[in-house]
Parts: sequence; structure tokens; C-alpha cells
Amino acid sequence: MAREKGYTKKNFLKGIIIENPLFVSILGTCPALATTKSIEAAIGMGILFTVVLVCSNLLVSLLRKLIPEEIRTPAYIVIIATFVTIVKMVTNAFLPELYQTLGVFISLIVVNCIVLGRAEAYASKNKVFDSLIDALGMGLGYTLALISMAFFREILGTGCFTFGKVFTFIPEVSLRIIPKGYEISLFQTPVGAFIVFGVILAVLAFIKNRKAELKENLARQERIKKQQEAAAASAAAKANAEGGNK
Amino acid sequence: MTKEAYLIIAIVILVALLVTFIVSFVLYRKTPVPKGCENIEINEENCSHCSHKECSHFIKRDEE
Amino acid sequence: MNILISFLLAILSSMLIDNVVLSRFYGICPFLGVSRKVKSSLGMGVAVVFVIVLATVICWPLYNFVLVPAGIPFMDTVAYILVIASLVQLVGLFIKKYSPSLYKSLGIYLPLITTNCAVLGVAQGNTDQGLNFLSSLANGIGTSVGFLLIIVVFSCIRVRLESSNVPKAFKGLPIALIVAAIMAIAFMGLQGLFSGIQL
Repeated sequence: MAREKGYTKKNFLKGIIIENPLFVSILGTCPALATTKSIEAAIGMGILFTVVLVCSNLLVSLLRKLIPEEIRTPAYIVIIATFVTIVKMVTNAFLPELYQTLGVFISLIVVNCIVLGRAEAYASKNKVFDSLIDALGMGLGYTLALISMAFFREILGTGCFTFGKVFTFIPEVSLRIIPKGYEISLFQTPVGAFIVFGVILAVLAFIKNRKAELKENLARQERIKKQQEAAAASAAAKANAEGGNK
Repeated sequence: MTKEAYLIIAIVILVALLVTFIVSFVLYRKTPVPKGCENIEINEENCSHCSHKECSHFIKRDEE
Repeated sequence: MNILISFLLAILSSMLIDNVVLSRFYGICPFLGVSRKVKSSLGMGVAVVFVIVLATVICWPLYNFVLVPAGIPFMDTVAYILVIASLVQLVGLFIKKYSPSLYKSLGIYLPLITTNCAVLGVAQGNTDQGLNFLSSLANGIGTSVGFLLIIVVFSCIRVRLESSNVPKAFKGLPIALIVAAIMAIAFMGLQGLFSGIQL
């Protein structure tokens, strides 16, 4: 049972860091570039995405023994498209501003590689609960990745954080960080999206390289230390032996 | 025509689309790869599109 | 004549000004993925052009003559994805069976097109904006040819990038994204291209 518990936690966390769908697997890049103009839009996209992912993973996992092997992909596509339609209609009814902001990209969740990929790779082979946890982890990981991109784009592009424009049920608040006239509106355009995404990937690659280097260095130092110890030991043994001979 | 008739037609068309999709999907998978093309594979070096094992197409290719 | 000119202008504007990859962000996955070699990007691009144009031609009447009269326009996404997926499978089937040479060059890219957001994005965008059939067709052609153009140009740049001296952390995708950003700046310059033309 203890192992099972650890597995669930690991299963949840893997989607956030080790297998982050956006920054590690580079999947679902289209909405990541298009809907990260503001943090709010990113949060909205992340939530909708997570809802679709969780629902489709649950249903696929429930039906995994019923769907014949032959028609798995068509069945999954239909399931995902149905959930996207539902999510779309609900968003349109209750959060029309969010619907306006995201536009076509809500529909495009259907062709998001992550949803179909998780359904095929995970939910079709695992139990319902595990699939749920997997979907939640992946969804949260994707949402966090979107938010981190939107963070830079919004603060650099507009100079302030604005809330309440998309989620109209909270009062509109604007918090200015960069003084007016010093913001770089380029970051609100597509150009900024590409730059921010590229730089984030580069920073992640840098950290990864650095870690690998450090590990290698540590390993090398350990090896040298061991060699020295071994040499010292053998020298000591030699000296001992010589001393004994005398 | 009444609205109900349109609705029925629309549903029939949608179901027909679904059937077309499934049939063509199964047929596509069953059709043997033409001669001389057996060894074409997506080279991960050249195509990193969903080169991650999770991409559905990759999984399918791996299974085949 | 006027219709023809505006048709051509619509194609050009959705191809250059509102470029599918660089300003609408459709199809980033194949844009980044299949662009390491000029040949493969050409194959992918041609396959995308074919599927997008066909999908536009089918999806527009399907929405306006079937779904809307029936009172179920909200089923559009499901209908479009079914059309696109069956189209891809049918075209793939046809090529696989009758044209080995075409299969050799396009075959592996066809299955990837189902999950290319450009196709669904164009079909969905056409009906969301309420375009008429001719504008939809122009949008479809312009978008897909724009995709072909951009992916081929990008792959040419990437071939050069492979052999250039890039900081270690930027190797691979990050520098490709920076290049895409620079290309997007270049395309921003085309924004006023047709502003002087009166129709």
C-alpha cells in the first residue's frame, strides 16, 4: 500500500516537472503561443484544457476494455471532440469574455497532441484512478507552463498585471510594475511569444546541461579521490610490508 | 422541409461521416505498404514532431 | 473581374499578412518538427495544402447547409474533425493503394495532418467569422500556401543553423524559435501591403 501511495504522488508530479507537456515534450505549442498574452487567458486556457483532459482520460479509461483495438483512435477523437464541444458551450454561456479571448483555440483542444497522446499512451492501459491522477498532473503542468510564459509576456509587454478583464466575476485590478512608457509592446505580439518560448527552453536546457556537468564533475572528483585513497592505501601497505621485512 | 427533417438528415450525415472515418481508418491500417516503401520511417533526427513517445502516431508506429 | 481580384487579394493577405504560423500560431508542431530538412518540409507542406483546401470545400457547405438548418451549429467541431480525419485517411488510403511514388514522399506526413491545428483552425475560423464560400476558399488556399511557404523557408534556414556555432543552451529548438521570432518581425513589415488598394 505504501508503494501504491508513493506511486500516486509520483504519477501526479511527473506531469509537472519531469514530463512537462510543454517544456519537456514540446507538445501543445500552438495554444501555448497564442493564448499567453495575459496571465488570465493562460489560466483560462489551462483550466479548459485540464477539464477536457481529465474527462477524456476518465472516459477512455472506463471504456478501455470495450473499445476494440482496431478503432481506438477514431473512438478517442470522437470522445475528445464531444468533451471539447461541451466545454465550449459552457464557456460561451458562463464566461463569454474568456470565450472571446481564446476564440478558435478552444476548439483546437481537439487536435492537441497531449490529449490524444495521454489517452493512447496512458488512459487506454491504466486504471481509472491512475488515469485521473495522470490527467490532473499533466493538466496542472501545462497550466503552470502557460502561466509562466504569460507572466513574462504580460509584464514585459504591458508593464502591469491586469485581472478581471477575462474573468469578469472578479473586480478589475491593474497592478503596474514597469512605469508607463518603458514597456516593450513587442512582447504582446507573436514575436514576443516566440522569443519568450525560445528563451525559456534555452534556460531549461542550460540548467539541464549545468546539472549534467555538475554530476559529471562530482563523479570525476569521487573517482580521483578513490584512486588517491587506493594509491595511499597501497603505499601504506607497501611501507608496512617493507617495515615488516626490516 | 420541416426542421425535424433537417435534423434527421444532419444526424444521418454525421453518422455517415463517423462510419466513413472508421472504415477508412481500418482500411488504411490494413492496406499493405506499397513496394519499396517498407522502410520509410519517421526519422527522429529529422522529425521531432511529437517525437516524444506519447504522440499517438508514434505509438501506433511502434506497435505495427 | 472585381471578384477575381478580391479573391486573389484575400489569398495573398491570409498568406502573407496574417501568416498562419507566424501570426495565427496554427501548426507550430509540424513547423518546428518537420523542418529540419527541406525535402521533408516540402512533403509536409504539400500534403497540408491538399488537405486544407479539400477540408475547406467540404466543411463550409456542411456547416451552412446541414448543421445550421438542422439547428445544431454547436456540433461544428465534431463534424469538422470527422471530416478532416476521414479525409486524411481516405487520401492516405488512395495514395497507399495506387501511387507508391506519392506514398514515398507524402505518406508518412499524412497521418500527422489530422492533429495539425491549421486544418481544423481554418475550417473553424471560416465558419466562426461567418465568411462566405469564396472567402473561405481564399482563406483555405492562402493559409495552406502560406504554411508551405513558411515551412520551406524555415527549413532552409534551419539547415544552415545546424552547421553554425550556437551557444550550447540554444542548440536545437530554442534557436529555431528565436529565428521564427525574427521571421515574424519580417512578416510584420508586410502588414500595410494592401492598405492602399481600394476595392
